[in-house]
Amino acid sequence: MILMERVAISGLLANGVQQQYVMNRHLFHRKPYAHQWEGWQRIMKLPHNHQSTEHEPDLEEHIPDIIQHLQQLFTDTPDLIIRKLSIVQTGEKAVLAYLDGLTDKNSINNDVLYPLQFEKGGGDPGSELFMTVGHIVPYTTWAKVIEAILNGDSVLFVDRRKEAYALDTKGWPQRAIEDPQLEPSLKGAHQGFLETGSQNIALIRRYIPNRELKIKQLAVGKRGPASVSILYLEDVTNTEFIQLLEDRIKAINVDVIINTGELVEFIEDNPYSLFPQLISTERPDAAASQILQGRCAVVVDRSPSVLIAPVNFMAFFQSIDDYSTRWSIATFLRMLRIAAFFIAAFLPALYIAVVSYHFEIIPMKLLITLGESRGRVPLPPFVEAVLMEITLEILREAGVRLPAPVGQTVGIVGGIVIGQAVVQAGLISNVMVVVVAFTGISSFILPNYDMVAAVRLLRFILMILASLFGFVGIIIGFMLMIEQIIALRSLGMPYGIPLAPMRFADLKDTLVRVPLWLMNKRPISTSALQSKRQGNSRFKGEEE
Amino acid sequence: MKVHPGHEITSLQYIFLLTGVQVGVAVLSLPRKLAETAGTDGWISILVWWLVSMLASLIIVQIMKNSPRGSLPDWAAEVLGVWAGKTIALLLTLYFCVLLYDGLTKSVLITKTWLLPNTPAYVITVLLLLPTYMIARHGPRIVGRYCELIVYLSLWIPLVYLLPLKQAHFIHLLPVVKDGWQPILTGAKEMIYPTLGMAATFVLYPYLKHKEKATAAVIASSSLTMLTYLFMTLICLVYYSPDEIAEYNNPVISVLKSIEFRFIERIEVPFIAFYLTIFSLVWIPTMYLATFCSSWLFARKDIRGQLQILCILIALATYFYTPTLYQNLMMEKILIGFGLSVEYIFPLILLSFIVLYNRLRRRNC
Repeated sequence: MILMERVAISGLLANGVQQQYVMNRHLFHRKPYAHQWEGWQRIMKLPHNHQSTEHEPDLEEHIPDIIQHLQQLFTDTPDLIIRKLSIVQTGEKAVLAYLDGLTDKNSINNDVLYPLQFEKGGGDPGSELFMTVGHIVPYTTWAKVIEAILNGDSVLFVDRRKEAYALDTKGWPQRAIEDPQLEPSLKGAHQGFLETGSQNIALIRRYIPNRELKIKQLAVGKRGPASVSILYLEDVTNTEFIQLLEDRIKAINVDVIINTGELVEFIEDNPYSLFPQLISTERPDAAASQILQGRCAVVVDRSPSVLIAPVNFMAFFQSIDDYSTRWSIATFLRMLRIAAFFIAAFLPALYIAVVSYHFEIIPMKLLITLGESRGRVPLPPFVEAVLMEITLEILREAGVRLPAPVGQTVGIVGGIVIGQAVVQAGLISNVMVVVVAFTGISSFILPNYDMVAAVRLLRFILMILASLFGFVGIIIGFMLMIEQIIALRSLGMPYGIPLAPMRFADLKDTLVRVPLWLMNKRPISTSALQSKRQGNSRFKGEEE
Repeated sequence: MKVHPGHEITSLQYIFLLTGVQVGVAVLSLPRKLAETAGTDGWISILVWWLVSMLASLIIVQIMKNSPRGSLPDWAAEVLGVWAGKTIALLLTLYFCVLLYDGLTKSVLITKTWLLPNTPAYVITVLLLLPTYMIARHGPRIVGRYCELIVYLSLWIPLVYLLPLKQAHFIHLLPVVKDGWQPILTGAKEMIYPTLGMAATFVLYPYLKHKEKATAAVIASSSLTMLTYLFMTLICLVYYSPDEIAEYNNPVISVLKSIEFRFIERIEVPFIAFYLTIFSLVWIPTMYLATFCSSWLFARKDIRGQLQILCILIALATYFYTPTLYQNLMMEKILIGFGLSVEYIFPLILLSFIVLYNRLRRRNC
């Protein structure tokens, strides 16, 4: 009685979330009583993106009807597998439907099909079924059934029962855990996030095995709902943030969210600002440490990066390595990064301003060397600088897009072109090459990619201002940059905190990184409900 | 116009805002003016006027204590009638506009002299108005944050001014009070212009987060102002000879000329560029204050419309007519008279009126 049918999908799709219930690993016993189902509905009240009305149970009870309905629903779907079987335990007929490729074959064969067909000892028809699947949810509506099938569950329909059982046999292609690509760390953990939301949550939970770590699950997207989970510590994180985040995510009404970056566009406070207002990280340890400071983490299923909110400007200069190295070097690196930010943003602009407007500030000897080098160059300083900066950007993009072995070639060719040939050909001055190399390297030491991107654009704006108005232009650019930093908000929190508004206590982990045993409180900038995070942890020194 | 929640400013922001409006552009020429009238004892004039200005700002705070939830025009409209409120709003609008225009034209003139001699003045004005508009439109809190941040960012400047002390002659200061007290007291009037800006309290008081600290805050702010002036004046007095100092229009800038490093000459050029951020502490807050008062006058909730109009007006005005350095000095004289009446005399009259009014009302009860 094995029948394999290839049927097709209509575009009918369900709303809502894949509901997760952990039941007894070996026993599955759920009688199809109506009141019990209502009870389930009540427990299963998970937040929905849009209010779905409580569906009336509409499942057919007879196997042929069910198969026919399934075939109507899933037309042109060769990967849908419909397997007829008869259950040995109760003597009932049944049908198992699942999408090949989204499910784990081993699990279906050994945990579902085998026990149902070969293990005796069940009761009357309608009584419990024995399967070695951990996680089974009964559904009575087609909408839920379809959603379950599309999300990788296999669904068991039993003849003359009002409900179908969604069995957790998920198993889609997935890569192994790797070192984070964008945020490598020297001493931190070497696990990066994956493309499966539940696994990412597990990675974070490994760092915070605490009951207070709560997860709010929402579904975003109409056509392909992605589960979006907000992780926070209930007794630490300010409820305002969670509320704001939830409201903003619920307001999203799109087909599909492919990546965290798309989510950011919909929920960030000011989309017109150059500065990133949310951090997306691919490091579980970084996410966990941010949650512990009182922030929220947003895990988007199918995306390997996790959002952190709210953040401030200075958070983009923090790296998880700061806390795993000794505080003195961490402090040094912090200051180095801040300096690098300004160099990367301002240096080419300063070069343009000095060479074209304020050459009187250069001492005579330096001016002569500069003049020698500049004298042969036919281009005005601004064109020279823009040309070189654009070359740098092209090289950088080329390096990113190309596979690693070819990427090296680009580096060599680019290095020679930038480094020597242009100078020897008299196209660009020596000093300009130094400036470009310096800005390039400075922008590489910033730990956050989004901030680097902002700096790259900022640089060009400042260069234009400097070419038009010299130092005055740069200062105007600087003032506008300050305006952005002090006026922006991230999830309602001031972006400039702890610098403007000044919170002196938070400077301990901003411009410097003081020893950990001096940071007994959580940062004020997250306005955490519980500000104390540790007691005196440093042993008392031995008396002399 | 009631205070919206989420616009409060902290005491530190208030202190720095007041100090910023006062110090801003005024500090540049102060040592020369003091030296012209009071000679090398000019620094004592600063101390004298410090007491006076502190008294004036305390009076202003005393007045505002009667109106914890609204600005001065609000209070006047409530107690004396709508037209009194409108008159005061108009007066303050005009006053802040003059303060703003003076600060802005001074900055433009200095920029033009030192940094961009070939750029037309109106272009520089438009350029400076750009960040002004961007910051002022956000309201008092962001303006306060801006002032605070700029003050922190400029904390290194005094260190640089210690460098000219290598060539300083402290003997210039001696003997103290060499010509009697007369020139010192005459010199104190030069301090009127550099202390203008206390009137900001008329608008900002309701926005204060801790109103009970307002008195302490104005004392701190006028002391901070005094310290800045004292420091700069003393540096200039000991660096220049008593006769030479009067030759420099802006001795605070000229002092820097003596500093020279192996890697940078003419250090005053980047300094003046950076000083633009400090000058902006005059025009950005006053821009906000002026538009606040004018919005009140026209009963507008949002200041942005007024802000845009004012920016366009200033830009147009500078396009058709750019004041010269001399005309700017004339304007300064007008401003001194105007400021003296708005910030010193008017509050005194108002306070005595309020005291009388309260006493009468109590008697009637």
